Amino acid sequence: MTFALELRDVSKRFGSVEALARASLRVRPGTVHALLGENGAGKTTLMRIAYGAMRPDAGTVFLDGIAANLRSSADAIARGLGMVHQHFALVPAMTVAENVALGMRGRYDAGAAAARVRALGQATGLVLDPGARVETLPVGAQQRVEIVKALARDARVLILDEPTSVLPPGEAEELLRWVRRFRDQGRCVVLITHKLREALGIADDVTVLRRGATILTGPADTLDEPALVAALLGGDEREGPTSSESSATLPPAISPAAILPRGPLPAGNPVATLRHVSITDARGRRALHDASLDVHQGEIVGLAAVEGSGQHELLRLLAGRLTPTAGDVTLPESIAFIPEDRHRDALVLGMTLLENVALRGLGARRGRMPWGELRDSTESLLARFHVRATGPGALARELSGGNQQKLVLGRELSSHPAMVVAENPTRGLDIRAIASVQAQLRAARDAGSAVVLHSSDLDEVLALADRVLVLHDGRVQVVDTPTRERVGRAMLGATIGISSGAAPADVPTAG
Amino acid sequence: MTDYLTPFLEATVRTATPLALASLGESISERAGVINVGLEGVIISGCLGAVVGARSGSVLAGMAAGAVAGMAAALIFAVFVVWLRADQIITGTALTIGALGLTATLYRALFGTSGVALSTPTMGPLAIPVLSTIPVLGPALFRQPPVTYFLYLMVGVVWWFLYRTHAGLALRAVGENPEAAQAAGIDAVRTQGAAVLAAGALGGLAGASLVLAQVGTFTERMSAGRGFIAIAIVALGRWRPLGVALAALLFGAASALQFLFQSTGTQLPYQLFLALPYVLTLIVLAGGTAHARAPAALGRRDLESS
Repeated sequence: MTFALELRDVSKRFGSVEALARASLRVRPGTVHALLGENGAGKTTLMRIAYGAMRPDAGTVFLDGIAANLRSSADAIARGLGMVHQHFALVPAMTVAENVALGMRGRYDAGAAAARVRALGQATGLVLDPGARVETLPVGAQQRVEIVKALARDARVLILDEPTSVLPPGEAEELLRWVRRFRDQGRCVVLITHKLREALGIADDVTVLRRGATILTGPADTLDEPALVAALLGGDEREGPTSSESSATLPPAISPAAILPRGPLPAGNPVATLRHVSITDARGRRALHDASLDVHQGEIVGLAAVEGSGQHELLRLLAGRLTPTAGDVTLPESIAFIPEDRHRDALVLGMTLLENVALRGLGARRGRMPWGELRDSTESLLARFHVRATGPGALARELSGGNQQKLVLGRELSSHPAMVVAENPTRGLDIRAIASVQAQLRAARDAGSAVVLHSSDLDEVLALADRVLVLHDGRVQVVDTPTRERVGRAMLGATIGISSGAAPADVPTAG
Repeated sequence: MTDYLTPFLEATVRTATPLALASLGESISERAGVINVGLEGVIISGCLGAVVGARSGSVLAGMAAGAVAGMAAALIFAVFVVWLRADQIITGTALTIGALGLTATLYRALFGTSGVALSTPTMGPLAIPVLSTIPVLGPALFRQPPVTYFLYLMVGVVWWFLYRTHAGLALRAVGENPEAAQAAGIDAVRTQGAAVLAAGALGGLAGASLVLAQVGTFTERMSAGRGFIAIAIVALGRWRPLGVALAALLFGAASALQFLFQSTGTQLPYQLFLALPYVLTLIVLAGGTAHARAPAALGRRDLESS
């Protein structure tokens, strides 16, 4: 049989790290192929090799059965490969049409480029405004730009790197429906994902990578979740320090019955209070509208919302980084903030772990740096939060995404803050790291902190939260019996008979 | 006042020409994400190149030699910054200091140390029929040395290239987000290299026009900070060809003021007017560029985010 894309016995080494060890992948024509693996398993490296962005040390890439010596991404694009990176490869300051035209030759005609975007939108259902600047678009639309970009170059094999991890549930399902239609036209999609349910739900074939090698490959209908989990985690499932936590938190993907929040809480004292708070952003948009809420000691408040509903602003307000346009806000003294973009907002990648830990609270300190003390506390932090690193002197950029996030979390939580505000804390992490991060948030709650958590993965909100708030169009609502369906509907603005957070006398509390 | 206005405007355009050429080139380079603070060194190389080339008696040969000398200086910068990914500011500073010293030494070696100024042929103004007869603006814009007309052409060409070709789009993308450009199959290193060399040619031409259209000789350090002023002009012109040309005119006007005031017989010391362009540079850098948005990847050494 001729495969649309085949990688045979591909090996790649970075210094002393063997990223790929004779990994193989075979994508049949007209199929969706899910590529699973923990962070660092080599998924992205394998796909970068397929896309010509990196050359293998050994092994061969075949396209339609012919050995392809890809020297660059331009080569791969010319042969019908398209890739949508997890961190989008878009130029924010440019328009949609300009981004789509990027990498082509000859004269650039803005009118023709816009017409092409419109035509592709009609043909594929991925509708976009060609004149819109990419930086003004919500993340879902940016992703459509990436896909249209690949389709404009006639991609027959589309590689999507964790495409749904950035999307709210409704849009994620829409994307997956689109993937199916694309496949039904006889084309291929390689779907890199962490989500087992998604892989089994949409893929025709599944391949699991572990430590750079292909562990399992086969048709999706011959596989089930336990088989995939076993292949993903392998023999060291019992070795890891976080093993008990991983089995406790794997269920979000595995047994939906286990994800309901726990019952009513012993209400602690409120640590943060918002009364009739509104935020109008620089462009005059109402980001938050008359929000009133309390956050109590020892509870995890889950905040569910689709992209752009005001959660970005509400979380920054609670973190004390944004002042409201109207209303009263009472915040505790010590707040830990775990921002979504850890590269931009939480870590200095070119600094050591020690220096990154020392950054916390730096604005309020004076005089000599207590480096000795800080080194000790960094060492104990690395041990306590299972950050895998060579030591406090390692550079932050040398850590994997999961270990970077554990470091941020460890730094923020080790000072026992009164409130923890976390925004998509597990985005882009592998199962083990997710389990560890979630366990740390629970531990912070159990230690008496108030935790406010927003995740674009609704299952995660439901799994962790003691109480669920929904933000829609800048308005806060409490969902009394937070089932997946009720919360999902509230996020989209459907009425479900819920109490409104804006009712003056009815300030939502634990319920 | 009109007696003074026309000569003033003529002087404005004349002094703005080398500045505009240099900053137009620098804007190409910066659009690709490379800031060449060695532009001063590129210009002085162009000055010396022009003197050598013009020994043949041909002004055109002098211009060409100036452009080649500018590109040679830019090539040194490109090797370190674009291919070896060295720090742009440090490399550019080294280029400026090195080129100022080297050109002075070479000039003495080539043309002796007598101190007698070596004069070169110069290009006189060429009045364009009809257009140059427009009152006030006509002579200012269209009774200029041919190199100024070349500048007008280049403003259009660079604009067309940046906004109407895929290569221009690729160049701007490299300066904004090299990862995105590379993912789209663009060779970011080659793009930056070409941009720096093109900027070098224009910078060299700026130096050549200083010698062949204005001064008529070479003197040590005759670039007199124009490279740094040009970098400020790029920011004031918001990295756009027409904006850069207009910003260069503003600086040209500041330089030309001294002629105006000298001819009106003011009592103010002329050094004050000599200092004006440099003071303007400071003011522009402090205030005028506050809302300007530089290419996002300007000055970045790595082409891959980690």
